[in-house]
Amino acid sequence: MGGGGGGLQAAPKVKRGSFATVRKKKKRVGFVLDMTPLVDIAFLLLTFFMLSTTLTTPQTMEMSVPPETENVEVKQSELLTVLVRDDGQIFKYMGDKKTNPPEKVALKDLRALSINENLRMENKLIVSLRISNKVPYGLVINLLDQLNIAETDITQRLSAKGMKRERKFALTPLTNEDMEDLKAL
Amino acid sequence: MSKIKKKRVGFVLDMTPLVDIAFLLLTFFMFTAKFKSDTENEQKFQIKRPMASADTSKVPDKDLAMIKIGIDTVTNDTAYYYSLSNEQDRKVVYNSDKVQLSDEARQKVILKVTDLKVLEALLKQTRMANLRMKFAIDADKRVQYKWIEDLTNVMRLSNATVFNFVTDRPS
Repeated sequence: MGGGGGGLQAAPKVKRGSFATVRKKKKRVGFVLDMTPLVDIAFLLLTFFMLSTTLTTPQTMEMSVPPETENVEVKQSELLTVLVRDDGQIFKYMGDKKTNPPEKVALKDLRALSINENLRMENKLIVSLRISNKVPYGLVINLLDQLNIAETDITQRLSAKGMKRERKFALTPLTNEDMEDLKAL
Repeated sequence: MSKIKKKRVGFVLDMTPLVDIAFLLLTFFMFTAKFKSDTENEQKFQIKRPMASADTSKVPDKDLAMIKIGIDTVTNDTAYYYSLSNEQDRKVVYNSDKVQLSDEARQKVILKVTDLKVLEALLKQTRMANLRMKFAIDADKRVQYKWIEDLTNVMRLSNATVFNFVTDRPS
């Protein structure tokens, strides 16, 4: 005999504030609104917006190239050359390639290599990347990503020593001579 | 009359909490929704971006010059696609005398560029039109590095020496 909505029962029990002589009942008790259409529309819109939003926004990797006019001279002994062959194999050599012939490196070892060499040379190292034209762009980004991850480590360790990190890094084209060298490896 | 009544007549469920949650989610998704821009509508290729480790920097919305390198889904050929986020700059740059384009191409939002000379002129005009312009390279991970190398050389010639590679975070 609970809620007030009914009206099916003939005479309601005597309620608070009502007199037996007054026939009019208070109907405002337990007011119910049918919310079904509202919910229908709400869910329709909800599903629409849920499906139309893209939650994965792309991010960026900043790069800079030296301006055309600038010509930088580097000492060969401070140069770490990383070469990428047509088939995506990575090689590196330190300084002069006649005394230090190119060695093969795996992509995942590149980070450790960059950290070690940079800390050994203490900011003097310049990494020269020579990438073959035929390599897919995805690999180049993976390679740059490894160097970027290494970068945070290097900055941290150098600042512990009280040094400020200056990044030196160059993208240079792969020459025919390099390609000949790499073919045999 | 029996005391046991049928209570199933006019069954009422309190939907208020449900509606509360539904509207909360609705407003959330409404505010976060970002719709496809004109540029994306005209695009006839899909870019599979390379993955890079998590980084907080996002692609800027304003003053952005986007250079896409995409592989056409139908013809399978690679080309540069140039677009500017700013409509005003777009009008100035696309209609410049220094850029050699057909009249039809000047009306478009996204330009298909196959000639590096045209791309260089576009980049130069963009730099002149708006100095705050940022450059982003959005390339498919399958394209050969040659495309990127040529592009960075052209960018260097047009003094756009700082640019961003658009990447996806690994899921």
